[in-house]
Amino acid sequence: MSQLQARFFTDNKKYVIDDVPFSIPAVSEITDLSNVINKLLEGKNGDHKHVEFDFLVQGQFLRSSLATHLETENISTEEVVEIEYVEKYTAPQPEECIMHDDWISSVEADSEWILTGSYDKTARIWSLEGKAVATVAGHTDVVKGVAWVKRDGLSSLLLTASLDQTVLLWEWSSERNKLRARHCCRGHAGSVDTISVDPTRSKFCSGSWDKMLKIWSAVPTEEEEEEEEESNRPRKKQKTEQLGPTRTPLMTLSGHTEAVSSVLWMDTEELCSASWDHTIRLWDAETGSQKNMLTGSKVFNCISYSPLCHRLATGSTDRHVRLWDPRSKDGSLVLLSLTSHTGWVTAVRWSPSHEQQLISGSLDNLVKLWDTRSCKAPLYDLAAHEDKVLCADWTDCGLILSGGADNKLYTYRYSACLSDAGA
Amino acid sequence: SVGRGGACTTSAPSLHITFSLSLSLSLSLSLSLSLSLSLSLAFCSQDIRNTVGNIPMEWYKDYPHIGYDLDGKKIFKPIRNKDELDEFLDKMENPDYWRTIHDKMTGTDVCLSDEQVDLVHRLQQGKFGDVNFNEYEPAIDFFSNEVMIHPVTNRPADKRSFIPSLIEKEKVGKLVHAIKMGWIKPRRPKETAPQYYDLWAKEDPNAILGRHKMHIPAPKMRLPGHEESYNPPPEYLLTDEERQVWEQQDPDERKLSFLPQKYLSLRAVPAFSRFIQERFERCLDLYLCPRQRKMRVNVNPEDLIPKLPRPRDLQPFPTLQSLVYHGHSSLIRSISISPSGQWLVSGSDDCTVRFWEVCTTRCLKTMEVGGPVKSVAWNPAPSISLVAVSYGENVILVNPGLGDRLICSATDQLISSYEEPEEVKDQQVQWAVPEGKAQEQGQRLILTHPKAVKQVSWHGRGDYLACVMPDDGSSLQVVIHQVSRRRTQNPFHRNKGAVQCVSFHPSRPYFLVATQRYVRVYNLIKQELTKKLMANCKWISSMAVHPGGDNVICGSYDCRLAWFDLDLSTKPYKVLRHHKKALRGVAYHKHYPLFASGSDDGTVIVCHGMVYNDLLQNPLIVPVKVLKGHIITHDLGVLDVAFHPTQPWVFSSGADGTVRLFT
Repeated sequence: MSQLQARFFTDNKKYVIDDVPFSIPAVSEITDLSNVINKLLEGKNGDHKHVEFDFLVQGQFLRSSLATHLETENISTEEVVEIEYVEKYTAPQPEECIMHDDWISSVEADSEWILTGSYDKTARIWSLEGKAVATVAGHTDVVKGVAWVKRDGLSSLLLTASLDQTVLLWEWSSERNKLRARHCCRGHAGSVDTISVDPTRSKFCSGSWDKMLKIWSAVPTEEEEEEEEESNRPRKKQKTEQLGPTRTPLMTLSGHTEAVSSVLWMDTEELCSASWDHTIRLWDAETGSQKNMLTGSKVFNCISYSPLCHRLATGSTDRHVRLWDPRSKDGSLVLLSLTSHTGWVTAVRWSPSHEQQLISGSLDNLVKLWDTRSCKAPLYDLAAHEDKVLCADWTDCGLILSGGADNKLYTYRYSACLSDAGA
Repeated sequence: SVGRGGACTTSAPSLHITFSLSLSLSLSLSLSLSLSLSLSLAFCSQDIRNTVGNIPMEWYKDYPHIGYDLDGKKIFKPIRNKDELDEFLDKMENPDYWRTIHDKMTGTDVCLSDEQVDLVHRLQQGKFGDVNFNEYEPAIDFFSNEVMIHPVTNRPADKRSFIPSLIEKEKVGKLVHAIKMGWIKPRRPKETAPQYYDLWAKEDPNAILGRHKMHIPAPKMRLPGHEESYNPPPEYLLTDEERQVWEQQDPDERKLSFLPQKYLSLRAVPAFSRFIQERFERCLDLYLCPRQRKMRVNVNPEDLIPKLPRPRDLQPFPTLQSLVYHGHSSLIRSISISPSGQWLVSGSDDCTVRFWEVCTTRCLKTMEVGGPVKSVAWNPAPSISLVAVSYGENVILVNPGLGDRLICSATDQLISSYEEPEEVKDQQVQWAVPEGKAQEQGQRLILTHPKAVKQVSWHGRGDYLACVMPDDGSSLQVVIHQVSRRRTQNPFHRNKGAVQCVSFHPSRPYFLVATQRYVRVYNLIKQELTKKLMANCKWISSMAVHPGGDNVICGSYDCRLAWFDLDLSTKPYKVLRHHKKALRGVAYHKHYPLFASGSDDGTVIVCHGMVYNDLLQNPLIVPVKVLKGHIITHDLGVLDVAFHPTQPWVFSSGADGTVRLFT
């Protein structure tokens, strides 16, 4: 088998070629195929510039020579092979390296600011250029989770969760760069490892080592009436008063038999939590009842949901990233395992704009960029960290962030294609 | 002529006799009444028919008549005046004598005509009387099987031919019933496969042919080669060095039993000096060679190994090294996991105790103590946050301040709420409350013992703490502290050997004490020795009790791990010798059927140890994984192993200053 018949097609209008089968050598690799396409495009319009392409055969990325790929995928070589080509995804471009004083446990960024939680008991706000803007200090122990609640104009609300069993709700005005603790959410009996704000930005959910999920209100209330009794309170109480009035949970969801490692809102009424008891549970946020349960075989460290493709991605202690369908009613259903890491997967995050891409961070110091159409090998390895990667985030504006035990927060600018980047 | 005449007389009466015989025969056979009628009709012109019937005519012997005619008149006997001579003359002269027969019924002589003689001849030959009758006419098959348009008979078919026969029905019914009842069996279908007879299937090996098969031919002598030639090619001749080597070799080791030699001609070859020796050896070979094949029992060695389930089927168990906790600068003697599984404490020879976050390997707290830490133990009660640390002669109880704040403060309150009793007993152990920096670090109580403490072990409820001070010559080797009342007891007043380690029973009021060779199980309530387990090893290093309470494992310095079933025997149920060097630590998992052992060879061996509720079923012990990772430092490998309380993960601490987590 030296030659085989292939027909190339693409969705991108810019690079359409004639819909005729070509005879190509079976041993050709991506670069060879890419050259073929470029030749054809040059023949079609003279002012074509060389573009690197990536190729998909029946929805799977071509990563070896065509012959071996067809053999491993069990595709017949007798017929005309349909090959889709897309513009090659460009590597994420490293942008900033932001130094911290201690391990970075959590990160969340929006279009303007980066919020990181650190093991030095503080959270920090950075600009996207890596300039330190503010330090959120108030916790008495390691900050484990951070989240932006709301950013309207110059004042914003943010949350920090900590090992000291509290979640603090802060108000930050970026103009005056002033921070004020508005509320101190008490109720957990273990370290609060994860928080997630609901899509309406009025509630948030926290997951803790004490196996509980708690839903809190994220709306700050005025506190004048609290201040009148300030004088006749014990000193300790006064100290907590600096962190704002105590807030109690709206609802407690119990059901997990081990620590909750990750929680997220799938939409305004549905919560999803991953736990050390090897389960993912879906909850009704209105009634607090458990709706569905997906059972795995290993401890889950992290979870992410993509509203684009309606899939859950989990990272667990057995080095795999697994994709789940949360709507499946018949128990556990792993759609796909992405296997390439050599350590526990501590962070996964779906791309906010691309329904097939996600990043994962692992204790083997690597952040990997995956495409679900290539489950054996990632698209790119981001090997900047010198120690364990603990958190990762992917913003709407195409910024990938990862923080780890080497005290560094790396940011990458990622755009799917070169042509998009230019546009 | 007389002779001829005599011959004739003898022949004539014989003919007559034959005639009369043949006639009487034919009559008696009732061949035909018509024959006799025709005869009588033919013989007599007038019908003188006797009507007496077929009676013996002797009955009319004495009467003048011989019967009655048709009119009823007497038939008188003809006057017979012929005597013998007349008879004879008649025979001689009458040419028709031979055809004259005597009719008894009428008493007359009848002379047969030619036709009648011919008829008699035909009858004698068995032919039909009628000449014209052809007995071999071609047969006409009137009743053939062919259905004819015009049958011979046109009778309609019988009714029975189209009505089912009741008799047959009854017979069939009987047969069916018999088959149903199993009285008769339906005929078995014939086996179509041809059957062959194995001629050699049952062959007697002692039979002549069998013996022949086992025969081994006598060894043959090797054919002579070039080196045996009187004029061998020069490459076969030995050089001087080779000759020396040959001479120095043992006769058995020599490749050649002789030295090749070259002679100018065959005439110059001397007599073969080794002839007798060679013949003798040949005879010896023939005599000693095996003459029969030995029957060996062929047993597959795999079959002798007991059938154990495959380790793959016994998941989950730790398989890979996942995390390494770096930080200690010297060997880590002891580790312990918090009951929640979130924290890990390790005590090292660099005089520090470190508290780690399990899932991130983050060292959250480091506490310096006044000496190399020998043992650490996290309080197993979930409502108490205390860690016992032993260094030198002291045991300190530390509140690490990790986990639930409420539990931490409750523990502090519990310890500070102690009130001195009025009468202070003189105790061998000093209880002291630390001040200043130590208090800030979390140390809550310091217990100063008279001797160095090697091991600390909590009771499951978390109030009692046992400490081991190994000393071969003293009775004060084990003390049990009660933390809430700050009391110390010495449970043993007699020394029974150097105590290695102790453990509380997880469910019953038993206390296990391991000395160098024995494990003694004491009942704390009855204050008596319940059991003495003989470990069959030289020096026990470590011990762990199964959470079910009926099984104990002991690791020893002579590379053995002994599994005791307390209900079964005082001897080990199983001894595992998987490690190459001394065992330092053993541990059971709280929920999963797993146990692990750490050894000086740097490995942790995880075994599946399933204990069944059924008392009759013995525990199933299958080694499942050898976990490597620790670097052997100063000939020490793994010093302690501990399981995660909820996950199938095992921690090990080593002499290389690291704690490793295998998942």
